[in-house]
Amino acid sequence: MLKRWRTRIVLFLAVLGPGFITANVDNDPNGILTYSQSGAQFGYTLLWTMIPITLALIVVQEMCARMGVVTGKGLSDLIREEFGLRMTVIVMFLLVIVNFGNVIGEFSGIAGSLQLFHLTKYISVPVCAVLVWLLAVRGDYKSVEKIFLAASVFYIAYIVAGVLSQPSWHEALVATVKLPPRSAWRDNTYLYMVIGIIGTTIAPWMQFYLQSSIVEKGVNVKNYGASRLDVIVGSIFTDVVAWFIIVACAATLWVHGSGAIQEAADAAEAMKPLAGRYAFLLFAFGLFNAAFFAASVLPLSTAYVVCEGLGLESGVDKKFKEAPFFYWLYTILIVGGTAVVLIPNFPMVQFMIFSQVLNGILLPIVIVFMLLLINRKDLMGKHTNSHWFNAIAWLTAITVALISFIYVWSLIRR
Amino acid sequence: MRDKLAIPTLTNLLGTPITDVEGRLRGRVKDVAVGTGSEAGKVAGLVLKTRKGLEVVPATEVRPTPSGAIELRPEATLRPVKGDDSFILLRQDLLDRQIIDVHGRKVVRVNDVDLEWFSHNGGESLRVTEVEVGLRGAVRRLLLGVLPKRALEAVARTFPARVIPWEFVDMIEVDPARRVKLKIEHERLARLHPSDIADILEDLAPAEREAVLTTLDEEVAAEALEEVEPKLQKHMVESLDSEVAAGIVEEMDPSAAADLLAELPEERSEAILEEMDPEERQEVEELLEFREDSAAGRMTTEYIAVPRTATVADGVRALREFDGDPETITEIYLIDDADVLQGVVPLARLVLALPGTRLEVLTDPQFISCQVDEHQQKVAELFDKYNLRALPVLNSAGKLVGVIEADHVIAFLREGR
Repeated sequence: MLKRWRTRIVLFLAVLGPGFITANVDNDPNGILTYSQSGAQFGYTLLWTMIPITLALIVVQEMCARMGVVTGKGLSDLIREEFGLRMTVIVMFLLVIVNFGNVIGEFSGIAGSLQLFHLTKYISVPVCAVLVWLLAVRGDYKSVEKIFLAASVFYIAYIVAGVLSQPSWHEALVATVKLPPRSAWRDNTYLYMVIGIIGTTIAPWMQFYLQSSIVEKGVNVKNYGASRLDVIVGSIFTDVVAWFIIVACAATLWVHGSGAIQEAADAAEAMKPLAGRYAFLLFAFGLFNAAFFAASVLPLSTAYVVCEGLGLESGVDKKFKEAPFFYWLYTILIVGGTAVVLIPNFPMVQFMIFSQVLNGILLPIVIVFMLLLINRKDLMGKHTNSHWFNAIAWLTAITVALISFIYVWSLIRR
Repeated sequence: MRDKLAIPTLTNLLGTPITDVEGRLRGRVKDVAVGTGSEAGKVAGLVLKTRKGLEVVPATEVRPTPSGAIELRPEATLRPVKGDDSFILLRQDLLDRQIIDVHGRKVVRVNDVDLEWFSHNGGESLRVTEVEVGLRGAVRRLLLGVLPKRALEAVARTFPARVIPWEFVDMIEVDPARRVKLKIEHERLARLHPSDIADILEDLAPAEREAVLTTLDEEVAAEALEEVEPKLQKHMVESLDSEVAAGIVEEMDPSAAADLLAELPEERSEAILEEMDPEERQEVEELLEFREDSAAGRMTTEYIAVPRTATVADGVRALREFDGDPETITEIYLIDDADVLQGVVPLARLVLALPGTRLEVLTDPQFISCQVDEHQQKVAELFDKYNLRALPVLNSAGKLVGVIEADHVIAFLREGR
């Protein structure tokens, strides 16, 4: 009996790979904050987004994994080869801007989570930034990744926190499958939050990161089934965690009328009297783990992706002189992110959600590129998209573009 | 002297209007066709987009005009582009693609291609001089159309150029039929050190890796494959045809081949062994029997053993006739009729001795050896303690069955870190 369980666990862990890691980095402080905020501000009324987003996330991530396996090339490589240098530079430029926003969010998360343990951000953030930098350049990232992966067990903390917050299960479940009243759509802040949730869950950087990881792992077409499962399990896990964060904040902050939060850590702080000390600790520790993990992955992967697309030397195994652009970009992202967070009274929450909205606006562009690439017979052979996949991916791209457009339009009209 | 700014690059050429002698527009440059083989680097023709579709005109039948346009000579003939022409299309095949810089020994991406006009049989023709992989080419392409051409060139020139002369450019073509037609043989790549070839292979995508590996001579491919890191080695062999893989594995050092096959799934390694030469196959199969971390799992069966009565001249002859790579040999082994190891002669002593000397005289009174089942850690200790270059491996009867070289030890010590 014990042995059977053990093989089951081993089988499950063997499946966990790039897809699961990407999904875990996806629940970074920006994500946690966006989910918390939507729960705090709108209660259960945004839960309906979770099912369609999960579906879209699975489809989009699966496309990346499949492209990585079949072509053996990263997404930025493919964009470069098939759409030329100018298009690549534009996409990479947008990606750097958006990712810089994300990096700031990660360091805000580090600041916020350690503030809960009474550590000032003026110490915690620079120390963590140096650690992150050294980790990639001097350390052995692969083994650190395993530690992070083990630490992502802490994401279960959010599920526990959700349960401890004693939500109205009935109301939450109904809200998950029911669309909100039409009046909600006229609310600017509600639209803004929808884009933010989509942008943070299906973040553009994930597509680049996942495809590169799959290529690096060297999965071949025959073993693709396992990678697909990995992607699906990861996507579902991410969104289950997201669902519980929204529920936890809805059940505590929204129900008690505390309204919008000012910092990711506020959610944890606010939860303390309402849901008990353990919920607070779990929330806080989960936040730190997520922030540090994402802060280690994002700047590095951005530097890699950009250098790959532009054909510049990259890699931590190269010396600074051999790959100057790579190191400069990597360093600037970290130092810049740290510097912004250290500005006194920096409006972290507003900025973090804004960065997720930027994610949401860039997303349709990336999906369209992916769709154009994946449906090419000369690249993908018989592994092009099925009609259903195309339909869902196009629908995602068009919907997100439409919501972004409506939002921007309503801003202009105001 | 020609205006320095007028150096034609691919980016500048693309879209250039082409007029006939009367000044009527005939089309715009869509691509540049470049010859291969003996015609390497010479522009075979300009591909134009005309009202009739894509047409090609030989580079000798056009001339540049001072205004920057290109004019057809009176005798110029345009002919439609056929799909099976055997030339490289710079824009389609080279721009934004990865190439191998044979001189710099790495994989780079092409940003632009520099060409030049030169005198040819009294007229003028075009040829490719170098490809640009640095910022200058990138800036030129990004700003094209944003700035006027002259200003653009001036801006681009403020950036450092990183160029690769055409003779060091090795193109990668995934389609085997087209590879043959374009005469892409990677012969310059093949002259690099196997470790450099391995690094280059590691930088490529699987399809391109396969294309390069199968184009290389089997012996070169085998040497390069030995240097590729084990995980990737496995992926590469798995993606190859069993027959092709067998051809390469045959040429590998038997111990490296056995290590590689041990990593593959059973049926796959069986299939490859099936296709191999019986003699090589037996050697590899024997090595496969041993545990990987034992002395026998690490040893090679390519060594030189001569009868104990042999002379220095016999030793030198054996070295000349040696099947494997003679550079890996550091000592010669003396064996008796039952293959039992009797003595070891370092190569240096062999060189210094007279041809008629009996090898037995040159041996040390004692030699260090180990058993087939010795753990690799113990083997490393022996190398360290006795400052060995090579270590003979004996079976339980004292018969010489293989040799561990110092580079094998370095390899597994690094692996274990």
